[in-house]
Amino acid sequence: MAACVVVTLPLELVVGARVWREPARLLRSVGPVLIAFATWDAFAIERAHWSFSARYTTGWEIPLHLPVEEIIFFAVIPVCALLTFEAVDRLVGTR
Amino acid sequence: MREYTVLALVAAAATVLLELSVLRTGVFRDRRYWITLAICYGFMVAVNGWLTKLSSPIVLYNRNHISGLRPIWDIPIEDFVFAFPLLTLTLGRWLQTGGAARGR
Repeated sequence: MAACVVVTLPLELVVGARVWREPARLLRSVGPVLIAFATWDAFAIERAHWSFSARYTTGWEIPLHLPVEEIIFFAVIPVCALLTFEAVDRLVGTR
Repeated sequence: MREYTVLALVAAAATVLLELSVLRTGVFRDRRYWITLAICYGFMVAVNGWLTKLSSPIVLYNRNHISGLRPIWDIPIEDFVFAFPLLTLTLGRWLQTGGAARGR
């Protein structure tokens, strides 16, 4: 996940995508989606749709048995998508 | 019942309905959205594949709840469906919160 942040950072700094520089808008975009997907995740863990390797995760959990890694995932991936979107906007044009 | 398969399909369909009838962010008419989606799905194969590869999986799926189709690097096909609402809702919210007059 750290690698995803590092790989997409040049989109902000070099291409000029303004995502990290709009923190309030970023929070209002990523926040609700993160809550929705964390809810799905908690349900899926409860129903044993999926589980996580003890070897490759920290074992740190927030309530509802959600690994912290999952919360990081649902924050980082949407930010990468927004950076991609804004970079496309800068490089390709608005529509 | 393959609950993840069903949930992923329901979530994807609900996202399309929600966007077209309630949110109306215009994301599906935006060329930048489709280009972004293509790029993200490309990178997703690498990231997801690293999480799901059966040689040393980080995320383990219950075989009773997935279709068993794992086309590339053992990524359950459901994950590709799962990514659609995640990306679409995020980008839709971004358009919605952007305001009309945005300097470029």
